[in-house]
Amino acid sequence: MPQVLDTLDLAFEVNGDAVSVKVPPGATLLDALRDALELTGTKLGCGEGECGACSVLLDGRVVNSCLVLAAECAGAKIVTIEGLAANGKLHAIQQAFVDQGAIQCGFCTPGMIMATHALLADNPTPSEADAKRALEGNLCRCTGYRKILDAVLSLANGGVAHD
Amino acid sequence: MIRTDVATEADAKRTTKEPSFIGKRVPKLDAPDKATGLARYLDDIKLPRMLYGKILFSGRPHARIVNIDTAAAKALNGVRAVITADDIELVPFGFGSDNTALKKGTVTCVRDEVAAVAADTPQIAAEAIKLIRVTYEDLPVVASVAEALADGAPVIHEKAPNNIPFNFDYLHGDIEQGIAESDVIVEDTFNLQRVTHCCLGTSGIIAEFDATGKLTLHSLSQVPFLYTHDLSRIIGIPPQRIRVIQPPIGGGFGSKLDVHPFEPICVFLAKATQRPVRMHFTREEEFFATPTRQPMIIRLRSGAKKDGTFTFRDVKMTLDNGGRTSWGATTPWISMRTFSSLYRVPHVRQDVDVVYTNNIYACAFRGYGNPQATFTIEAQIDSLAEKIGMDPLDIRLKNAQEPGETTGQGMVLRTCGLAECLDTAARNAGWEVKHSGAQKPTHGIARGMGMASLFHVGGGAKIYRSDGCGTMLKVDDFGGVTVQTGSSEIGQGSETVIAQIVAEELGLPIANIRIINNDTALTPWDVGVHASRTTFIAGNSALRAAREARGKLLDAAAAMLKRDADEIDLADGKVVDGDTGEPLESIGKVIRGMHFGGKHELVMTTDFYEPPSKAPDKEQKGDISACYAFGTHVAEVEVDLDTGVVKVLGFSAAHDVGRVINQLGIEGQVEGGIAQGIGYALSEELKVEGGYVLNPTFTDYKLMTTQELPEIKTAFIETQDPAGPYGAKGIAEAPLVPVAAAIANAVYNATGVRITELPLTPERVLAKLQEARGDKSGETYGETCGQPHG
Amino acid sequence: MTVIQEYLAPRTLEELTRLVGDGEAAIYAGGTDLGPRWNKDVVEKPATVIDVKAIAELHGVRVDGEEVVIGACTLMSQIEADPMLRKSAGALAPAAGRVACPQIRNRATIGGNLCNASPAADTAVPLILLDAEVELASVGDDGVVRRRVPITEFFTGPGSTCRKPGEVLTCVRFKPLPDTTSCAWDKFGTRPAMEIAVASVGVMLEQADGVVKRARVGYGSVAPTPLRGHKAEAELAGKRLTAEVIERVTAAARDEINPISDVRAGAEYRRTVIGVMLGRMLNDAAGA
Ligand SMILES: Cc1cc2nc3c(=O)[nH]c(=O)nc-3n(C[C@H](O)[C@H](O)[C@H](O)COP(=O)(O)OP(=O)(O)OC[C@H]3O[C@@H](n4cnc5c(N)ncnc54)[C@H](O)[C@@H]3O)c2cc1C
Ligand code: FES
Ligand code: FES
Repeated sequence: MPQVLDTLDLAFEVNGDAVSVKVPPGATLLDALRDALELTGTKLGCGEGECGACSVLLDGRVVNSCLVLAAECAGAKIVTIEGLAANGKLHAIQQAFVDQGAIQCGFCTPGMIMATHALLADNPTPSEADAKRALEGNLCRCTGYRKILDAVLSLANGGVAHD
Repeated sequence: MIRTDVATEADAKRTTKEPSFIGKRVPKLDAPDKATGLARYLDDIKLPRMLYGKILFSGRPHARIVNIDTAAAKALNGVRAVITADDIELVPFGFGSDNTALKKGTVTCVRDEVAAVAADTPQIAAEAIKLIRVTYEDLPVVASVAEALADGAPVIHEKAPNNIPFNFDYLHGDIEQGIAESDVIVEDTFNLQRVTHCCLGTSGIIAEFDATGKLTLHSLSQVPFLYTHDLSRIIGIPPQRIRVIQPPIGGGFGSKLDVHPFEPICVFLAKATQRPVRMHFTREEEFFATPTRQPMIIRLRSGAKKDGTFTFRDVKMTLDNGGRTSWGATTPWISMRTFSSLYRVPHVRQDVDVVYTNNIYACAFRGYGNPQATFTIEAQIDSLAEKIGMDPLDIRLKNAQEPGETTGQGMVLRTCGLAECLDTAARNAGWEVKHSGAQKPTHGIARGMGMASLFHVGGGAKIYRSDGCGTMLKVDDFGGVTVQTGSSEIGQGSETVIAQIVAEELGLPIANIRIINNDTALTPWDVGVHASRTTFIAGNSALRAAREARGKLLDAAAAMLKRDADEIDLADGKVVDGDTGEPLESIGKVIRGMHFGGKHELVMTTDFYEPPSKAPDKEQKGDISACYAFGTHVAEVEVDLDTGVVKVLGFSAAHDVGRVINQLGIEGQVEGGIAQGIGYALSEELKVEGGYVLNPTFTDYKLMTTQELPEIKTAFIETQDPAGPYGAKGIAEAPLVPVAAAIANAVYNATGVRITELPLTPERVLAKLQEARGDKSGETYGETCGQPHG
Repeated sequence: MTVIQEYLAPRTLEELTRLVGDGEAAIYAGGTDLGPRWNKDVVEKPATVIDVKAIAELHGVRVDGEEVVIGACTLMSQIEADPMLRKSAGALAPAAGRVACPQIRNRATIGGNLCNASPAADTAVPLILLDAEVELASVGDDGVVRRRVPITEFFTGPGSTCRKPGEVLTCVRFKPLPDTTSCAWDKFGTRPAMEIAVASVGVMLEQADGVVKRARVGYGSVAPTPLRGHKAEAELAGKRLTAEVIERVTAAARDEINPISDVRAGAEYRRTVIGVMLGRMLNDAAGA
């Protein structure tokens, strides 16, 4: 085994649940989510902050979890894609992505949805320009973005319940 | 015998009925799992005792391996296997049989696989790779096609002493005659860059053996049956002992059409350790160690008569094949179809040299040689139109084929909506007003509009002896239907299309239909996802299986209800009165009636659909596809004449799709293709210099972001192809094909400057503009090198 | 194998400066420069990471006497949205808003941007226009010792600054721009988003009766460090923004920069776009 001199015991909140994990001090939040907590909905697309597939909410802000050290999340509140659907029902954003055809291969989808979540929490009635800007750091190779923006804008017009 | 008349008489009555699912906006079946993070992609799968594999790539473009010392790697705690070419049987594979899983002797590009490890964690595997010491003796590097063809160039593979392993030549008509008939002739040399798929999910595989030596692969292959066959040879395991399970994949676009070396390597690691092994590429590896689109140099000459009639095309293409050969080398088979048959041209010649270099190599990529060919043809059409003073739309309309024509290459256009595509795309774009031939400004912002069309196979392509697909369908006791189809879902939405077809035929809600399409142990044979064939071929097969099941159900229900089978129908999961729609019995009850009593039967049907296409003859002629797809794109751009920035303002696309099956899905395919095409046109280029990849990151390999998304108008021309399911043709690849050509034509319209190289980066565009203005030689710009700061 | 073995998050500046000590450990803020390097496994990872974000003093925007103070850990997204900065920090807020994307702006700090010392750092040129200073702190015999360095002297080369190994950047300070000034800044890249600048340029003008009283010009990505445009400023001083003056200013700008050719762009092209962007800004200012 590699020489990991230290393992951190971290406690934080993920999707409303208090969790504690043991990770090496250099582990990223993405590692902690995917490996330690088996929350594999958050994707690794690049590991360099360039694709947005790993987007999660960290204390309400959307961030690339591949660039966040797990260690600094002690006591933080994290929301991942697994935290949106409730009582067996898709969250309104998820439903809009499904209905509007915003999902093809789906690899970018969790990140897109988290970035959308952050946008709508901030600005419930975004314009197309606002939506484009909010998702500028989320790459999608399949859809060409049109249907993703349609999904976001469908929520802006119809209104969406925020928690 | 091949049955092409998929529509039977009994269906005639129903076809007048408004369909329940066909042509509707149906969300993808797998979307909810993907929206919630439940979908389990390859790197989400962790098997008990699974090890992590990693490859040591040569990192040198051309060198002899003198020695590999793996001792330190083997000694590292947690390392379970280290293998080199000495540890495996080396079976040549790939289209040119010039590749092996691990390399012995010479490495011919930086991505050549030299050794591999399996370890307890990815970190240990990465560390072990660094501990492997390879001694190389560097050989002279052939960094470009020109260098490869120079006198005395180093030979890269001995079987091609001139570095030209393949030619793909083609001819119809007589070029000399075409030249003689021409009033105007244009000639250009085009340079098409190397781009790569950039699937958001990177490549990977999991290999595991059972106690009897049977192999299960969790593989991203989009051609699982051919893949099993090819892989079997490489790893020395009979194909019937290999099972391929395909998890959802993070994008395909042609990248998963070959067996890639990492796949047998992972099998060898699993064999060596007798544990499951997962291999998963980093983004950097994905950029330099997976294949790309072919860079091509294309010299094209084409001509027209004064009235606009096209006379000939004479093409000389040179492909940078890189250091090894994958299926990508065969893209000229498709480009020749575009040269021969995009619009009516009586005389066409294609002459292709595929050239070995020490660059990384290419494979299939959406469009398969067609975007490159289309780019050159459509550029020259605008030049010809200008020379004879014709509107670019008119000259295209003049040469657009009509339904019923056979092209010079022997392809029979039973349906052809090209003229309608041209008209529709132009109308929706406001062509008449916005395509102006006015005086071009020299500074500030200029606007322009350009168009380009496409021709592509729409009903598969018979490049193997069969281009078929199998379906097995069962209707269960509860009115549910399970469809096992050979065709894979790679994000393109085929699963949903098949479910729509089956639901339509059996009068069931989509929710009652389960599609099994990702396990070769269960699914019947299929050629694979390529050539835009899935909707057409798998769709037809599913349609026929469903129709047979429908017949059986109606017969059984008629007997049970003591009615005539003609008088009843299936709707909303029930047997209903054919005229009034009144529900008579549930489908589940009919099935239960069948097996509990009566004749002790079940409704299970199978179908194998082989399209009515022909393999090409020795001259590459023949009706290779059951139908052909057409389309036209019109781009409107803004060019900053002082900085060279090109901005796409709007896009209008019209596609002959035969018939729309899923409106939502097909729009998504078109929009996605346009976005990829914009990247190809404006910003994407994998830069390779001296054999090394310079920009293996998303920061420097520039995909289109949301911010560049133009306004897009899509239109679908429904030509109702008689052979297609409900009249549909395949579309998957088509939308990417004409995009760059339309944009370049729009830039020409805006600036009066023709640029024959891609991508149209600001720097390149400005250099050409300045050259044309005579400001500066323009030569001070251009080739850049080195690593960026910051 | 290099593995991060220790993660520390001191709560006071004093503790921080003591821990930073000889500078062996990595100072860690938003991690948007450090993270990609660590993940790619191309650099030796430090054994110890010291996170500076738990120190309250390093966060936020405040007024201190005549100066505006921006804590080192202030995020790009906070700078972009801060009402005071939008009003009186010239191009700084808009430039922060052009960094990468929301996910990065929610992590990237101004201190990290400056200490990373990329010639492409987007906050550097706006700070040059403000005559800003950075404050550096280290541990001394009697606690924390602070010194100030003008922004133009801070950068010493690509990736290097005059910050000594034991020093921490605590804040950026500048005098708010009066209403009589105007600022413009732009960066150039092949895409409108997610772009590391190929070139950037900014200009601050104080005009009275159509005459330039005071000017500041700065450039990014066209020299080993972000650069102040002394020659362009000299061409502007005391002049009216006529076409000839603008031409002379842009010529001076093209002349005084020292760009390189790399995979992102050629040197000559960088020169051109600097001239074009600056010319357009001055034309706008002349028209206004
Ligand atoms: C995808 C992507 C896109 C980007 N786009 C842009 C862009 O458009 N424009 C741009 O300017 N930058 C860009 N960057 C770079 C980066 O986001 C910025 O430079 C950012 O401001 C760095 O801040 P940080 O807090 O994340 O730094 P960190 O990564 O935490 O640190 C950066 C460096 O500064 C040192 N450091 C940090 N804080 C202090 C301190 N208080 N005292 C002393 N040393 C310190 C660290 O030791 C390290 O050497 C991009 C990065 C990524 C990953
Ligand atoms: S994986 Fe984090 S941004 Fe790409
Ligand atoms: S749906 Fe495939 S990357 Fe977005």
